[in-house]
Amino acid sequence: MDLNYTPEDVAFRKHVRAWLEQNLPRAEIKTLEDRRAWHRKLYEAGYLGMGWPKEYGGGGARPMEQAIVADEMARANAPAPTNSLGIGIVGPTIVVHGTDAQKRRYLKKILTAEELWCQLYSEPNAGSDLAALRSSAEDKGDHFVVNGQKIWTSGGSIADWGLLLARSNPGVAKHKGITCFLINMRQPGIDVRPLKQITGSSEFSEVFMTNARVEKSDQIGALGEGWAIAQTTLGYERGGRALARITTYATQYSRLVEAARRLKRHGHPLIDNPVVRQKLGRIWAELEVERYGALRVLTMLERGEHPGAGGSLTKLSYSEFEKRFLELALEILGPYGQLTEGQPEEYRLQIDTAVGDHGTWAYAFLWSRAGTIYAGSSEIQKNVIGERILGLPKETRADRVGGAR
Amino acid sequence: MNFSFSEDQTLLRNSVRSALDEHCKPAHVRAMMDDPKGYGEAVWGEMAKLGWLGLPFPEPQGGAGLGLVELALVLEELGRAAYPGPYFASVALGGLGLLLGGSAAQKEKWLPAIASGKARSTAALLEEALDWDPASTTATAAKTGDGWKLSGLKRFVPWAHVADFVLVPARAPEGLSLFVVDPKAPGVTIRPMVGIDLASRWSEMRLDGVVVKTDALVGAPGAAGALLDSLLRRAAVMTSAEMLGAARRCLDMSVDYAKVREQFGQPIGSFQAIRHRCAEMLLEVENAHSAVYYAAWALNAGAEDAALAASICKSYVSDAARKVCGDAIQVHGGIGFTWEYDLHLYFKRAKALEPLYGDAEFHRELIVRHQSAHA
Repeated sequence: MDLNYTPEDVAFRKHVRAWLEQNLPRAEIKTLEDRRAWHRKLYEAGYLGMGWPKEYGGGGARPMEQAIVADEMARANAPAPTNSLGIGIVGPTIVVHGTDAQKRRYLKKILTAEELWCQLYSEPNAGSDLAALRSSAEDKGDHFVVNGQKIWTSGGSIADWGLLLARSNPGVAKHKGITCFLINMRQPGIDVRPLKQITGSSEFSEVFMTNARVEKSDQIGALGEGWAIAQTTLGYERGGRALARITTYATQYSRLVEAARRLKRHGHPLIDNPVVRQKLGRIWAELEVERYGALRVLTMLERGEHPGAGGSLTKLSYSEFEKRFLELALEILGPYGQLTEGQPEEYRLQIDTAVGDHGTWAYAFLWSRAGTIYAGSSEIQKNVIGERILGLPKETRADRVGGAR
Repeated sequence: MNFSFSEDQTLLRNSVRSALDEHCKPAHVRAMMDDPKGYGEAVWGEMAKLGWLGLPFPEPQGGAGLGLVELALVLEELGRAAYPGPYFASVALGGLGLLLGGSAAQKEKWLPAIASGKARSTAALLEEALDWDPASTTATAAKTGDGWKLSGLKRFVPWAHVADFVLVPARAPEGLSLFVVDPKAPGVTIRPMVGIDLASRWSEMRLDGVVVKTDALVGAPGAAGALLDSLLRRAAVMTSAEMLGAARRCLDMSVDYAKVREQFGQPIGSFQAIRHRCAEMLLEVENAHSAVYYAAWALNAGAEDAALAASICKSYVSDAARKVCGDAIQVHGGIGFTWEYDLHLYFKRAKALEPLYGDAEFHRELIVRHQSAHA
């Protein structure tokens, strides 16, 4: 046990920090093209697709190096690159399950953001019960025809391609009839409608597929293997954001403490109020415990071990923490915390929002509600923990018997 | 960066666990609950033989020369076994206290004796008002010709009734000071205070003009504040390790029980109400593990954030252990409320430790103060 960073990691961090100081965009990123340019700059510097194998254009970097880059970007309040699903999920899926032709055709363009990707998984009636999805893929000999509706597609409005789960065989048990495809989003059969969320923004879309075409060469893995492939892609979380997440919380926490020094109750600064101090002390302890947990995950990844179902513990822990943290922030900030416009400088989430995204407490607060729902709700994570880590018996479920319909 | 146990640490943990599985079964814990002394000499002798009693002391003083991560590992296992006896008091209070601030002569006299199991020790860190801040000490040390005369009332002194010496903070004319006191000396009255955890023992310790020689002083007169802060931090983290062990035992028992106990025709662990509770318990236990071993490492390495990490650890683990051990009773239902079933041994151990060396609230305040100091 040695919780100091190695000299190599310290030097690497210094190097990344210096690079960011030199290269951060000076002006606000307004258009998709601005963002692509920033993305390419990061890629050329070797800071994107770092964990991908070198032969596919990646950096072959260690998990700690990836975590450090993301962490330094959070510290510098750097704009996010684009194509995060392409790099985080689609690419790794193609690397593991794709054919050589698929790898040659798609991988490099994912890294360079030449082609942007989305993930077509959830449906209106297939959320936590993803395997209940009903979008169909019908074999027409030389291609597939796809019909159905997808929802919660992040980046759907800008995506060129999508990683699709569709039912290719309705006659077998529901987990066995699903196949994984790559689908061109730029075709007449695809209708993307932005989904306006409680944030007022539209990071997600609904996607309607009407007689959309998928080439035979764009099937990933074997027919009926889609569910198994999806299970592995959900496990591709490599701890890349493990440290960055904590740094973002810590930055927000210091802003909160600064605000608590200015705000008053009964004539005294809020920071002197014992009740507020207890709440701040508790949330800081929880935040640090999240950081310790991130270091444990990175230790495993560095040794080439995969956290497996342990990833459910990590996700459950930080997503629930984030909700508690932002609830507290809004409690301390009162109505300042709810401002979407006209925030006084002292009560802003970030000191400098020139290049960062969505610099309001209100947005962070509302967004925190998503974390315990997407990528497996907290309830699903607890099922996974109960069944796969603790070995508790599965519940009796009606859908484990019979076909999909 | 490596947040995992080394091979040696894992071996140590395994050997401690198997020794306790053999020598400290629940039947032993129950026997000691009724024992006047409260601990078994045979197990104590075994601990000495295995080198646990001198674990953090230097080798020349009969110790194993190991650090606080290893000590936390042993204490976690002791908590998991609800071990009845003065291990924590002797090694982590009296022993670490002298290790931190004792003179060469004090260390030479006591550390080998503790390590060999011949002597037991403890520290009297609490008074009537239950303020863990060492600065709140009201006991007094008056100067005499060749020493000091101590007076005051200490409470909740762990295992004082079997101790060969007690570290006693008292206020001297020079300020807060620390003394080595023989609990059998004239003027000392030890009276048992019996709590819900019958497998751990507390005493009230009254000092009525107790005379000690100059050589009883630990460190310089008036200079005990920093030493006591350090000792309190170590005690807080080490006691968290013991709570973690008790909580892990409660979780393991709950999961095992949920697999076999059937209601409505199926194992109760198949119901989400139970399964989700168990998942939450595991999350708390794993987070508590992170908090304990991070803090133990930080204190041992003298890391910049060691004091903060100690407070984070004790505040987090106190809450986590309360939740996990309480939930364990709920998962078990009626049987968890019976004397005969062993669950309450671990539930009570965690509960007894929860307020000690600063409760969660005390340490949360320290966390915020620490931040203000570094803002």
